[in-house]
Amino acid sequence: MVAEYGTRDIVLNINNLYKSYIKGKLVNDNISLALGTGEIFGLLGPNGAGKTTLVSQIIGLAKPDSGSITIDGVDIIAKPGYARQACSFQAQTQVPINGLTAVQAIELVGRVRGGDTKTVRTRAKELLHNLEMEEWTTKPAETFSGGMRRLVAFCMAAVMPGRIVILDEPTNDIDPLRRRLLWQEVRTLVAMDSTVLLVTHNVLEAERAVDRLAIIDKGKVVSMGTPASLKGNGGLNMRIELTIEPRANTPTVPDYVLNTTVTGRRLIGRLRESDITPAVHWARNLKEKDVIEEYSVGPASLEDVYLNVVGQGNTLVSTEKEADRERIGA
Amino acid sequence: MNGLARKYQLMLKWQALSSKTILPLALVVELVVAFGFVIGLGFLYPSITPNIAKFLTTGAPTISLLMVGLVMVPQLVSISKTEGTFDYIWSLPVPRMVYVAADATMYTLIAIPGVILSLVLGAAYYHFGLHVSLLVIPAMLLIVLAGIFLGYALAHSIKKAQITQLITQVLVFFIMIFSPVMFPASQLPQWLAELHKFLPIQYMADLSRGTLTDLHVNLGLAFAVVGGWCLLGLVVTSILVQKRR
Repeated sequence: MVAEYGTRDIVLNINNLYKSYIKGKLVNDNISLALGTGEIFGLLGPNGAGKTTLVSQIIGLAKPDSGSITIDGVDIIAKPGYARQACSFQAQTQVPINGLTAVQAIELVGRVRGGDTKTVRTRAKELLHNLEMEEWTTKPAETFSGGMRRLVAFCMAAVMPGRIVILDEPTNDIDPLRRRLLWQEVRTLVAMDSTVLLVTHNVLEAERAVDRLAIIDKGKVVSMGTPASLKGNGGLNMRIELTIEPRANTPTVPDYVLNTTVTGRRLIGRLRESDITPAVHWARNLKEKDVIEEYSVGPASLEDVYLNVVGQGNTLVSTEKEADRERIGA
Repeated sequence: MNGLARKYQLMLKWQALSSKTILPLALVVELVVAFGFVIGLGFLYPSITPNIAKFLTTGAPTISLLMVGLVMVPQLVSISKTEGTFDYIWSLPVPRMVYVAADATMYTLIAIPGVILSLVLGAAYYHFGLHVSLLVIPAMLLIVLAGIFLGYALAHSIKKAQITQLITQVLVFFIMIFSPVMFPASQLPQWLAELHKFLPIQYMADLSRGTLTDLHVNLGLAFAVVGGWCLLGLVVTSILVQKRR
């Protein structure tokens, strides 16, 4: 397991975590994760997958049924106060900042987290400048849009960052320009030696931002690794997409096209790089016979992996086995 | 300054800034209510004497302090719960009871001006004198804090905000009409008068009258009973806010 973080020290270690709110209905089902210092770790999964429940247990809002969570080796189930000092948190819910200006809200949290007035003031100013929010600095929060409130909430988490910065859907409602600026600030947090736990269902953003990620579905970790390792899983690092003619039947897929999903008229499958040539032949043939309208072949995206794992309830473990069988067969 | 005092101060600042938009409005409402209450007594009792006016006016602080603690606090706390505010506040490195202390301070500061105002207005309008003892400060603080902690305990022990709202409506009715604050307990049915021997409301009225007038009340008993309820509210609040889901 250590190999996954190279020489990084483990900051957050979660082992065999089980959590249910109603007896017999597990929201977190045997979750084990370890985050290293200075990495950006993504927690991906559909709504209701158990991501927020997991975060709630890390910051001591909820208590696991069983399992362990440590931060820097400290058992934070026994000492939730340690977790609250070690983690700075941007919640998915709105922060209570009505009546405060942006700078007041950010400075208050910075000082609550133990920063001295001068350091906090400088850092708040820097964040507001970097995120191009200076014109809102002294405006009352009740005049802010949803996106602006979320940016302020991000600054509140980033002003005096903890060992772990937990960001729950940080870019929701934020305009594209500031999204980019926000990701730069996330990188700055890492440079400040914080570890970032990014909770999201925005796969495209996560693919660009994270060092490693875990996909959670129905309370279980169904896949974990770097974006590249997940995309290239079992050598299946390419994708083929066909658009089926409206009146045509779904074509039979050759053996080397795996993990196929059909959504409406779209058929998407994964394949190895070495199978591109026969795949293109197959697709061109289908097009000539008017079975499909068009096709494309390209590198697999994290979204493909995500949809495969979450959409079909498959796990990458089984995909790996299939790919291995393919390789052995070849 | 030690860490806890600093965190208390910061959370109090946060609360004060959050309330600054509604604070002037709250004070205006208190002014109007206090003024209306004093004038209204004259409509309710056309032949009101200074002594009756004194009895009624010195019962008013209990009503208004309980309205803050048992009505305003549960309603605002349940709204905050619904909005997820506590999920954020509880994630900060601030002991939860330090936050509750800052919150309670804020509510106390909101409640006190109305009390002083209605007493001053009442005494001036109906020409009666007050015998204010120094004990009035701990007495008023105890009344308001008991109400606030019981209100906090109520709001945190009930999951649904609508149920909390409903209960606070019933409480308003119970405090105004069925509690011996503005009239003696002897005017209540016996079973209700007996029940009130165990509830804090009439003892709160005793605390108020015993420290503001020369009326004879058992202040020691009143301090003990209201103190007991305040402690109970504090302990239950402490357990509920520390609880992890």
